[in-house]
Amino acid sequence: MKKITKKLMTLSTAIALAGAVSAANAETLKIGLAGPATGPVAQYGDMQKIGVMAAIEDINKAGGINGMQLEGVIYDDACDPKQAVAVANKIVNDGIQHVVGHLCSSSTEPATDIYEEEGVLMITAASTSPSITEKGLQLVFRTIGLDSLQGTLAADYIINKEKPARIAVVHDKQQYGEGLATTVKGQLEAAGMKPAMFEGVTPGDKDFSALIAKLKKNNIDFVYYGGYHPELGLILRQSKEKGFGAQFMGPEGIVNADLAKIAGEASEGVLATAPKSFDQNPVNQARVDAIKAKGEDPTGPFVFTAYAAVQVMADSIKATGETDPFKLADHIRETSFDTSIGKVKYDAKGDLTESTFLVYELHKDGSKTPAK
Amino acid sequence: MSNSKFYNAIFAAGITLILACLMIGIKLDNEGAQLAVKGATAEQWGWIGLGIAIVFFSQLFSSQIDAMFGKIPKPNLGAMLPEERKMATLKPWLIAAVVVIMLIWPFMVSRGSVDLATLTLIYIMLGLGLNIVVGLAGLLDLGFVAFYAVGAYTYALLSEYFGLSFWACLPISAGMAALFGFILGFPVLRLRGDYLAIVTLGFGEIIRILLNNWSAVTGGPSGISGIAKPTLFGLEFTRRAKEEGNVPFHEFLGIDYSSSYKVIFLYLIAVLLVLFVIYVINRLMRMPIGRAWEALRDDEIACRSLGLNRTAIKLSAFTLGASTAGFAGSFFAARQGFISPESFIFIESAIILAIVVLGGMGSQVGVILAAIVMTILPELAREFSEYRMLLFGLLMVLMMRWRPEGLVPMKRPHLELKQ
Amino acid sequence: MSELSLYLLQQLINGLTIGSTYALIAIGYTMVYGIIGMINFAHGEIYMIGSYVTFIVIAGLMGMGLVSLPVILIIALVVAVVIASTYGWTVERVAYRPLRGSNRLIPLISAIGMSIFLQNFVVLSQGSRDVALPPQVTGGWNFGDPSVFEVSISYMQLLIWAATLITMIGLTLFISRSRMGRACRACSEDLGMTNLLGIDTNRIIALTFIIGAALAAIAGLLLSLYYGVVNPFVGFIAGLKAFTAAVLGGIGSIPGAMLGGLILGVTEAMTAAFFPSEYKDVVAFSLLVLILLFRPSGLLGKPEVEKV
Repeated sequence: MKKITKKLMTLSTAIALAGAVSAANAETLKIGLAGPATGPVAQYGDMQKIGVMAAIEDINKAGGINGMQLEGVIYDDACDPKQAVAVANKIVNDGIQHVVGHLCSSSTEPATDIYEEEGVLMITAASTSPSITEKGLQLVFRTIGLDSLQGTLAADYIINKEKPARIAVVHDKQQYGEGLATTVKGQLEAAGMKPAMFEGVTPGDKDFSALIAKLKKNNIDFVYYGGYHPELGLILRQSKEKGFGAQFMGPEGIVNADLAKIAGEASEGVLATAPKSFDQNPVNQARVDAIKAKGEDPTGPFVFTAYAAVQVMADSIKATGETDPFKLADHIRETSFDTSIGKVKYDAKGDLTESTFLVYELHKDGSKTPAK
Repeated sequence: MSNSKFYNAIFAAGITLILACLMIGIKLDNEGAQLAVKGATAEQWGWIGLGIAIVFFSQLFSSQIDAMFGKIPKPNLGAMLPEERKMATLKPWLIAAVVVIMLIWPFMVSRGSVDLATLTLIYIMLGLGLNIVVGLAGLLDLGFVAFYAVGAYTYALLSEYFGLSFWACLPISAGMAALFGFILGFPVLRLRGDYLAIVTLGFGEIIRILLNNWSAVTGGPSGISGIAKPTLFGLEFTRRAKEEGNVPFHEFLGIDYSSSYKVIFLYLIAVLLVLFVIYVINRLMRMPIGRAWEALRDDEIACRSLGLNRTAIKLSAFTLGASTAGFAGSFFAARQGFISPESFIFIESAIILAIVVLGGMGSQVGVILAAIVMTILPELAREFSEYRMLLFGLLMVLMMRWRPEGLVPMKRPHLELKQ
Repeated sequence: MSELSLYLLQQLINGLTIGSTYALIAIGYTMVYGIIGMINFAHGEIYMIGSYVTFIVIAGLMGMGLVSLPVILIIALVVAVVIASTYGWTVERVAYRPLRGSNRLIPLISAIGMSIFLQNFVVLSQGSRDVALPPQVTGGWNFGDPSVFEVSISYMQLLIWAATLITMIGLTLFISRSRMGRACRACSEDLGMTNLLGIDTNRIIALTFIIGAALAAIAGLLLSLYYGVVNPFVGFIAGLKAFTAAVLGGIGSIPGAMLGGLILGVTEAMTAAFFPSEYKDVVAFSLLVLILLFRPSGLLGKPEVEKV
């Protein structure tokens, strides 16, 4: 009997310890912040964190909402779908009902199933894949536009401004990258500019010399890359080394100072579609200054979309006087909000009725300017 | 204290200094425009100093410390069991008690604990499956996770494309994994020892990369989400019924919805599956085929000269192990509701293998115990948050040093000739 | 030359570059396996540590105002080799030596544990994000008709080839000519007998780990300069590939590891040249499985003899 008791005791103590849940404080409302704090695209997680924390600070300074102070709780999903599911479960187990996140579309998609089922309100500030809201979820919203908009903008720019002879569309096979690449490819084909190459790369790969030789062989003069900066940075860097000089273009997932660090000179002049630079907006001047005063960078594409996500949540809690996710979701669908990214209104699916992407030109010092 | 001891201690401290100096003492700083380095803070240097001092003194007094540790008796779990005759009468009672406790327990603890227990049960299933291959048949398999993946994807795809239920897919998944085991096993089982290990490792990677690349069907790196949960005779455990005509469990019973019903239900399924697996393997071990596995492990050449069909025996072990993994895989997919190739990386194979080795190679009780240790430890270590995996790796090394024969080494009833 | 042959040449050059670094790492696996018959799973992490040390030294020296690139590289090489060797030696001393003589699965699990430990050690000490270094060795050499297909070899690639070649020659001379090298070969023939003949086999095993780690550090230096990016997780993939290369060539055989590395690199490049590049890893692993099926002990490995 001893052994069994021992086993059971170990098990139950261990489990009791592991499952210890911090009791929710009535005075504070916890907001979960889910995104990558580690891993190759952690920079975007930082942007989101900067925005959310700034918003929470501002709201708390102004007296909180309905007497409640907000508290941000950070969860790290490393932009890995598997960890995103674990994080979503953890958020549910921790009793948090309001989440800003996740960041990568491939993490957001599986997490939404859990939030929807367990009754957690989620607003993503960065996931642009259209399929996330296509399932008709009740509790899922976003403060950023869709890939269909972004891809169309990129394709328009290629067709009307760049007019390249031979185009290659490369992607990283993830939901976000491949989705965008497929949109762009479809639009180009519709305009009679069939891409000469359409190919995937493995995320995390370091050697792209074979791909570059292939691009070179096909006489490609324009490459659209659907994916994130670590891979594109290496492609740019190795292209320069191998004397391959096509024009590159990517989505907002490459807009990051690290692209310039990895690619060096080769990142000069790369095109990218990204949400409008909200840090240039005079409305946000005080917020930008406050973020800068903390030694953080307010220019990332997701800083103010994340700020807006917290605003939408806070405003609807204030207006309804409730924290129940289902009631909040109804309210969010009905009203419009004044946020750091301008006037925000939602359609039935939970997407923004209006959103703007612009084409930017990236520079080797990590900055960006609107493209001509 | 001899002189050489002192030099030894100085040497060890010097090595520690070299190890710590560059990797902890200097940190790469990627914040600015250029890559730069910054030194550690005074506090970090303090810790490095402390570490060096610990190494120095532990080397200096190593014999005294060893003697001290030598006095601590090693817990011998095997000896804690009552003797065999008593055991025979106690055993059914014990098993019954454990089963009853396992069934009642989830209703008394938090949702998170039940969730963790379910995960532990999955690892128990995987451990038991690999135990057939490695522990009993002595075939080193480093790609076991491939069969786990096959099981998981079989259920996920069948449910997504054909709407088959979990219960229908459970045997199909196991069969599919067994088929893969058979196809792989047939050509490679003539390889010996480590070469077999490497081919299985390669196979595991191939499966993972194929799942990753075959985006049209498997969803590629984004995986498959929204996999249907198991139902209880058609009752769903969701807030609203997913399929037309289905009734959610809570509406059927007329109680309020609570997500913990679903968690407990999944846990109970896992308990059921584990009991089934344990029962089957236990029977098999007592059958001629089970004896043949162990005989083949202990002496292959002797077995062949006795006329045993080597390939058939190895293949049966390989296939059965694979089907257990397929079982676990389809349950994993159902519990998770989401799978992606990232869930089936090499490190999973390594952890399952560690469970088998730590459990004592062949011993079922040992494997179960080790699976509990290996899943609960990282969760316990969550208190140390970022140091969690570091400690996990360190513990794997230490456990191998401390109990290389496993927690509960396998014991067969046997007679010894006393001289 | 026609476009196709120039294209093939370019892919061959790419494949040989990546292949030679695989070979450098593979030698560490093969030497350890040849002597104590164990798969040193932590070897990839040693390579990763070598890469980090390279970055730290380069960034540090540049921060101090040193500008001469060759001097920086030589200092980086020396420091990376010393530090990585120390790690290799320590890993052997702490995690493997106490387990010698136990079931062969025990050191394997211990090695996996060590690999997890080292990876997370670097995550904690250096952060888990990509660290990037701008290109240091730039420029290259182009030939072929630009209107058909221009083949380019960067100076970095030439540097990788040269460094690998010199290292390989050095290692071969060391193994075949020196006393220590002879002791190494004796150990891999018969460890017990060598011990009886009065050679301190523990020292030879430690030496093997040090040599393997040094080569991994050289590979770390070359690859981190070539790609310019390092994170704590690069060791695992590189280790797996190098390990595959070692098995391909016949584990335990040093020329086999070199050959295996080159074959693996060229196979990957050629696969990527004609198929979608995402399938190159599948082809690499399938090649491994196939070769083992037809030559169960690898290309240059000694066939295993079954003894009763």
